[in-house]
Amino acid sequence: MESLDQLLIQASARIDEADDLEILASLESELVGKKSFIASTRRGLGRLPSEERPIVGAQVHEVQTRLQQLIDDRRAVLQREAEDRLLEQDRVDVTIEGYEPPVGMHHLLTQTVDEVVDIFTSLGYRVASGPEVELGWYNFDALNTPPTHPSRLESDTLYVEYGDSSDEMLLRTHTSPMQARYMEKHDPPVYVVVPGRTFRADALDATHSPVFFQIEGLAVDEDITFGDLKGTLAHFAREFFGSERKIRLLPHFFPFTEPSAEMHVSCFACDGSGCRVCSGSGWIELMGCGMVDPNVLEAVGYDPQRLSGFAFGMGAERIAMVRHGVNHIKHFYENDLRVLRQFS
Amino acid sequence: MKISLRWLEEYVDVPTSDPIEVEAVFASLGHEVEGYEVLEVPFSKVVVGRVIEIEKHADADRLRFCRVDLGEDELQEIVCGAWNFEVGDVVPVSVPGAVLAGGLEVGVRAIRGVTSHGMICSAAELGLGEDQAGIMVLDPSTPIGSDFADQVPLPDVVFDVSITPNRPDAMSVVGLAREFAAYYQTEVRMPEAEPATVDRPSAVGVTIEDVIGCPRYVGREVDGVRIGPSPLWMQQRLRASDVRPINNVVDITNYVLLELGQPLHGFDLDKVADEKIIVRRARAGETLTTLDGVERDLDVLDLMICDGESIVAFAGIMGGEQSEVTDATSRVLIEAAHFHPPSVMFSSKRHALRTEASARFERGVDPNLCALAAARAAHLMVELAGGEAFADVKDVYPSIIAPWQVDLEVEEIERILGIPFAAETVAELLVRLGMKVEGSSPLRVTVPTNRPDLTRSVDLIEEVARLYGYDRFPETLRTGPSGGLSNAQKRDRRIREIMVGLGLHEAQTMSFLGQSELDAMNLPDHDPRRAAIRVRKPLREEEAFLRSTLLPNLLKAVQYNVSHGMPDVGLFEVGKAFLAEPDSEDPRIPHQPTHLAFAMVGRSGPGGLHASLRPTDAYTATGVVRALLEALGLRAEIRQVASDGFHPGRSAEVYMGEQLIGVAGELHPAVGRAFGLEGRAPLPSSIWRVWWQTATGGNSRHPAHIRGWSSTWRSSSTSRPRRKVSFDRHRVLQGIGSKKSSCLMSSAEVLWVKARRAWHCV
Ligand SMILES: [Zn+2]
Repeated sequence: MESLDQLLIQASARIDEADDLEILASLESELVGKKSFIASTRRGLGRLPSEERPIVGAQVHEVQTRLQQLIDDRRAVLQREAEDRLLEQDRVDVTIEGYEPPVGMHHLLTQTVDEVVDIFTSLGYRVASGPEVELGWYNFDALNTPPTHPSRLESDTLYVEYGDSSDEMLLRTHTSPMQARYMEKHDPPVYVVVPGRTFRADALDATHSPVFFQIEGLAVDEDITFGDLKGTLAHFAREFFGSERKIRLLPHFFPFTEPSAEMHVSCFACDGSGCRVCSGSGWIELMGCGMVDPNVLEAVGYDPQRLSGFAFGMGAERIAMVRHGVNHIKHFYENDLRVLRQFS
Repeated sequence: MKISLRWLEEYVDVPTSDPIEVEAVFASLGHEVEGYEVLEVPFSKVVVGRVIEIEKHADADRLRFCRVDLGEDELQEIVCGAWNFEVGDVVPVSVPGAVLAGGLEVGVRAIRGVTSHGMICSAAELGLGEDQAGIMVLDPSTPIGSDFADQVPLPDVVFDVSITPNRPDAMSVVGLAREFAAYYQTEVRMPEAEPATVDRPSAVGVTIEDVIGCPRYVGREVDGVRIGPSPLWMQQRLRASDVRPINNVVDITNYVLLELGQPLHGFDLDKVADEKIIVRRARAGETLTTLDGVERDLDVLDLMICDGESIVAFAGIMGGEQSEVTDATSRVLIEAAHFHPPSVMFSSKRHALRTEASARFERGVDPNLCALAAARAAHLMVELAGGEAFADVKDVYPSIIAPWQVDLEVEEIERILGIPFAAETVAELLVRLGMKVEGSSPLRVTVPTNRPDLTRSVDLIEEVARLYGYDRFPETLRTGPSGGLSNAQKRDRRIREIMVGLGLHEAQTMSFLGQSELDAMNLPDHDPRRAAIRVRKPLREEEAFLRSTLLPNLLKAVQYNVSHGMPDVGLFEVGKAFLAEPDSEDPRIPHQPTHLAFAMVGRSGPGGLHASLRPTDAYTATGVVRALLEALGLRAEIRQVASDGFHPGRSAEVYMGEQLIGVAGELHPAVGRAFGLEGRAPLPSSIWRVWWQTATGGNSRHPAHIRGWSSTWRSSSTSRPRRKVSFDRHRVLQGIGSKKSSCLMSSAEVLWVKARRAWHCV
């Protein structure tokens, strides 16, 4: 039927021209609705001779299907365009600050301590913490410190008024008392790190504070050697300061280790050629360490003939200051938000 | 201690003069160099001259006109303002073109109409001392016309070496020379200590009444000394070691102390009553005026040197005024004694009197050094002060302290150090350090008496490692069987993570409190936090107590930020508090619970352009507490209680079962005012005792299985049964849940509150 073909051509042009959804809806009703030419043609099919009926019927169906398809396609286009217009109206500047959930920060000291502790737990070390108010026995005697050692003087150590006056009660001057406490409670082998607060009778200056953080390490086992101490500290230095770092140990003295050493790490800022960070030497002093003195093992009932061990102790402020270029220890205890927020 | 490289080189060959290399040798031996100073000759063109003629300046009373022989054909004409020299004296003369210390250039100048060709110089002008009153008068034998710079022991490098307390033997130039000799495998040249002597008997008598305090006393008499300045080289070395030159005799005792490490004292023998020396403890009520002019009340434990009548010196620490060497002294008694280290240490601390002598005695001086040191000092007094040394030396040494033996198993070295050593290598290393070694298994090592630190085999192993070189040991790594945090540490980390996630900043505050901070917390007298543990000798008022609560210091930190222009602050801290009650695990020490505290001021909440920052108040505090409890999976109840130090109507106590675990709410405005936060209340704050264990390991939770159910919200109203019962979200949930058995009640939210009586929940 020619009129159907005609309709299809004319209608498709009109569908294309429909530029909003309402026009398209009325066009749909006009073209394929109940009162449309298509509908009336379909209704008139019965009046056609029976041999024409299927042919015309098929034609009507095809035209209707195609018209409906054109309308649906057009509707989809118009809907998308309408949504795009709406979205364009919704546009906001997402580069400006909107709605920010509050974020706190971990203190630089805790971050440092946690990082160091994690390096050692991955080497199979347990983590212990101990009392900050401590008996003189654990702080000094159990650590082979003679009764006349100057570190026991009130000019160095803060004593507190608690308990029986026969017990020397003090604020621990290092985390090392936990060496003795830990070994008293645990059988060897011992691999442990002890982070915690320590105290000295120091006035606050750029590098001293009456309160500071120390991280102590202790390994006691059969055949632990000086080489193991070097290797362990070298591993720590590379994990904490970067894989290129080297360490050196220089002889030193501590009552609770023998041999004793001071551990230096090659400067991460200049790679050892000398700069401001390392005061030109290429090395940065990091911590004290050594092989556990047999007297310390004996004091806790370990057999120094069978067991040996090493110990080390570092200041958390010191390593944080070195690593981040913090120039005064007061920054750790002032809790200035402008400082804290820089270490996320 | 400060040590001049030139002085060190007098006793040992040092193959380098590069300060950096020398510093590295010191360091590898365990003697840390704190710093070094390079000293150059501080002047140029200064010539040694002899004064030939002195006339008064025609136009100026205070000036003199001198003709000086500089070894040239003509005499140099110089105007000089100093009067301390005479015709014939040998003096340093700066000629035109010379540059003096401090950069002064010397030229030909007309002074009051007379032309002066240079200057006769004082020690200060030459940079060789402080004396600027008179010019330097030199040793008459100094060659005329020679360059004065040759007379000065410069250039030099002065190292500031830190000696560890176990090494008293290294607190001297010779002691460090021994270390260098061991390092470079060479010999030490000992200084001359064989004075020409006279054979008369000395009348000096020495008695030791306390042989524990004083195991040995050497007294040596030198007569006929002429007191005057010590030679320039000696003064220079003393000055480099921060010792002020005084006169030749005193300088010699100080010089030998620095050289050999044996503290000496020189008495004016004519002032020692009866020429008797008695070493004894002080008696109650005795006093002594020491050389620093201080009169000291003595303790019965203080060890004293006395003469026939009274106390003359503080043994091992400082001499007394009465018998001190003066310009009039001609007979000197040299004291070289050995004192018991703890005795000197306690007296030195008790009287706050620390000297070069006490610093050495308290660490332990070689008891067998006394005689040598006295001989060395006598030798120098003969050479430099024209004295006569007596061969008759009074050496009281009742029981000789002999070298001791230590056995060392060679295999033990490998067990501790990690690499095998041959017995010969070990023996060679120890011999280089002055020890005698016999046998092989074990090595029998004889330790000299200057090494009190070497008494056990492990001490010798340390010496082997030190001299072998710490650098030469390989790096090996040992790991433990299983590592990780304790449950309490995991809990504390988790709390910190959550608090940070809730938008608060972590603080670290001091562990001390002052009385005023404690008072400021508004706590009643019976509150246990008031009975804070006292620090025995606090450095500052604000360090008088150990913190019994974390809040005061946290409030100070809040105030610090507010006063620095940051109005919105939220800080928390996890740390130890100290309570004056016995610890449950170790009753000998006080209870030191871990606390969590937080304090906020200003506004909180999300920030930015569309932010909903709201003023902080009691709800902020309880909100943080609720969020923390929820995140920790803890079931706790918040009860309305007027808690001490808090706003009576805006504070709560947090209970786990019937256990009080914390307080939260607004601080009492008076507390805020006391911390300089007036007008800024409310101050939502909280303190917690962190003691519970978070779920870990075997502590399983048995979660309900969530199948394909959809969640629904339902609102409900409930009324407070009694005024004292707090709103409890969980109880409300249980109430609703019990009516619907197939229902998993998961959360509740307060929609509105009516007349503080009812809660409406969905
Ligand atoms: Zn560097």
